[in-house]
Amino acid sequence: MDAKDILGIPKNALPSQDKKSKPPKETQRKPDGISREVYALTGGLAPLMPAIDVNHLKRKAQLENEKITWQWLPFTSSARKDDLQLYHWVRVVNGVPPTGDYSFAKYNKSVDVIKYTDEEYAKYLSDPAWTKEETDQLFDMCEQFDLRFIVIADRFPTSKTVEELKHRYYSVSRTILIARAPSPGDVAGHPLVKDPYNESQEKERKRALALVLSHTKHQERRDVEVLAQAKRITEARKTIKAPKAPELPIISDVGPLGIDSADNVSPPTNSQLPSSSVTNPVSETASVVASLRMMRVYLRSYALEQLVQAASSSAGLRTIKRVEQTLHDLGVNLKPKVPTRAVCAEHLELRKEILTLLNLQKQLQYKEAEGTSYRDASYTEPPGTPTKRSVRAADLDQTFTPDSLGFGGERSGKREQKRKGPGRLSEAPSSPAQSKRPRKFKASD
Amino acid sequence: MYGGDEVSAIVVDLGSHTCKAGYAGEDAPKAVFPSVVGSIDQMEVDDPDNSDKNSVSADSKPKGKHKFYVGSQDLGFRRDHMEVLSPIKDGIVVDWDMVESIWDHALRKCLLIDPKEHPMLLAESCSNTQHHREKAAEIMFEKYQVPALFLAKNAVLTSFASGRATSLVVDSGGGSTTVAPVHDGYVIQKAVSTSPIGGELLTDCLLKSLEQKGIAIKPRYAFKRKEIRPGEFQTVDLDFPNTTESYKLYSQRVIASDIKECVCRAPDTPYDETSYSNIPMTPYELPDGQTIEIGADRFKIPDVLFNPSLVQTIPGMESSLETASTIRGLPQMVIDSINKCDVDIRRELYSSILLAGGTSSMQQLKERLEKDLLEESPQSARVKVLASGNATERRFSVWIGGSILASLGSFQQMWFSKSEYEEHGASYIQRKCP
Repeated sequence: MDAKDILGIPKNALPSQDKKSKPPKETQRKPDGISREVYALTGGLAPLMPAIDVNHLKRKAQLENEKITWQWLPFTSSARKDDLQLYHWVRVVNGVPPTGDYSFAKYNKSVDVIKYTDEEYAKYLSDPAWTKEETDQLFDMCEQFDLRFIVIADRFPTSKTVEELKHRYYSVSRTILIARAPSPGDVAGHPLVKDPYNESQEKERKRALALVLSHTKHQERRDVEVLAQAKRITEARKTIKAPKAPELPIISDVGPLGIDSADNVSPPTNSQLPSSSVTNPVSETASVVASLRMMRVYLRSYALEQLVQAASSSAGLRTIKRVEQTLHDLGVNLKPKVPTRAVCAEHLELRKEILTLLNLQKQLQYKEAEGTSYRDASYTEPPGTPTKRSVRAADLDQTFTPDSLGFGGERSGKREQKRKGPGRLSEAPSSPAQSKRPRKFKASD
Repeated sequence: MYGGDEVSAIVVDLGSHTCKAGYAGEDAPKAVFPSVVGSIDQMEVDDPDNSDKNSVSADSKPKGKHKFYVGSQDLGFRRDHMEVLSPIKDGIVVDWDMVESIWDHALRKCLLIDPKEHPMLLAESCSNTQHHREKAAEIMFEKYQVPALFLAKNAVLTSFASGRATSLVVDSGGGSTTVAPVHDGYVIQKAVSTSPIGGELLTDCLLKSLEQKGIAIKPRYAFKRKEIRPGEFQTVDLDFPNTTESYKLYSQRVIASDIKECVCRAPDTPYDETSYSNIPMTPYELPDGQTIEIGADRFKIPDVLFNPSLVQTIPGMESSLETASTIRGLPQMVIDSINKCDVDIRRELYSSILLAGGTSSMQQLKERLEKDLLEESPQSARVKVLASGNATERRFSVWIGGSILASLGSFQQMWFSKSEYEEHGASYIQRKCP
């Protein structure tokens, strides 16, 4: 488990995969009691009706005083309309032949096809494209062939497509059902009424399927070649365009920064620093976005992972762990369970804010430590720095407000911390530190 | 649901080359014999024209009495003025008297049964007409007094023999090749396509090709082998002037079809003269002791199935296929047939193509067909050609399907019984046997 944490592999990956592989295997296992070949006759799937009870397959025990003979006896079946008598071998016990219907008669199932009367036809069902004879014949064939529309379409005397036949059958059934129901509410739950047959959609689907199936291997090969060529061309174009791409987002990001900092009379150098710091995170996100766009179709959860990684790539392993710890404390999943667009965006925002929080806390500690060391070292500070500090503070404060920055905000903050290093003083902790220091001094005094 | 219940039904499959008959529930037919009859016109013994006229016309009553000789034993014995005639043309029966005699022979002489006690399952061609079905029902009920009858299509039976309800059946038998899609146990009639290229045509091609090379195949009756010294034989030619042409041709065909079965194999690539001109020859010993060498013909003849225009390159055979240009090869027929079906079932048809019939047991035929189909078929469909490994199963797959069907418990409600025939007439068979 620890190894998995270190590697960053999510803990729940394997069990779900096992569950997925099990259900398909279950259906392929044949039930006991029938031989493999007979089971293969059904196509490898169990028949709809439970056919053989395993208990029945055990040999019937012959009691001591029973006399078993096998006789060639006639039988009738209730599934037949006439009284044909065929012969078969029957196990006769003590001279008494078994009674009851033919054991296979119970498998004679058929579909309930609606039968309409002539008045109903005249009232509800007349249609310009269909004569009464055709409709009658259609229903007759539906009953004969158990709604196998492909076979019906094949044998229908006039040529009608499968969709036309289905449409006529389902619309007639629906109309009759609604007409016969005492109130519309009764049949509203019936599948025929709830989901009517959509002929145009079926036609469209079949047309698309026909198109897919008409691509022969030659065409596929040519398509693959053409696609490979197109890919090469686009990649060549991308390498030309790539140096130009990073500039655009920077300009847009620096815009709001520049406007805000203009209020505080920031020297142009200041705005350049954030801009240069903004390039890196923006180019990183740009590269992530570009790589995602290359894939054309990608999972949102995968995208989220990429973005999170890009965001925390400069944070260091410990910081990532602390972010995850904080998420855990807050009761938030490390990876959102339902990665919709809104959820992913919120998750990202949360992560950013936690990172910023952690950074600020770190800076606070750092600055406090510095502050104490400075206090010990000297009271005076170069006069220029407070203004710088205030400016930087303002910058930092403002980095949080504009949403358009995305990562850039926290990133710029962090980068600034790093770049300043030991020599420089940072702002945000310094301004509270500044406010604190007089107090401290006062306190100490 | 798929349990068996034997009612001792009889399954009869009258094909264009052989007739197969046997009990339902068994795994091979008991009676297998050629479905041609030798007929001697009794009235006019010296008038072959009369007998020709009588036996060829389908509907007119024969003027003289015919004696039919059915079965390989009777046919193997040469008789004067015996014509060999086939009752089946293009898969459809044209002479009912001959068919009756064949059925008689099968039921009474080979299987030794009384038709009154056994329900009968007949296999029929996919393009059988309503008229023929009614006639078959009439003969069965009136003459043989069977208690129950069912007419099933060949393709459906082959499909059941392999355990599938939906498949595309490629049945290449003696007289013709039929490609028929079966969906859920019913044949899609509008997508059935037939081609006259069958085993017999290939045999004729081989015969003509050998004749052109100067090899004359002597029919079995035309010579006698005397043993002069131990191990050495001398052939003596016999002459029977009253033997009919058709009998001679029939006997030659028997030998040629044996050559074809032993020696021919389907080529891996389409045949062309130049690449196969240096093929090593295979020897074959004829019954009269002559040894012949067969080279390129080994591959040329089976390739006629895939490329019908090859027939025209064989001298002597140009006229046999009048519409040779419109006849397509086997892979093309398969694809056309599938494309005529509804879009939804095409994938399933592509992945279950069944081979059946005597000609399909030719070596390498399955592999060649699969290869050709993979070229022409759509990318997204998985093409799978299935053929049972056993050659007898391929030959008898229609019969085996009938055997399976007639012994199922849930089939017993579907028989067309005598009482129904008497009540509704023969046309009711259309309803009962779709």
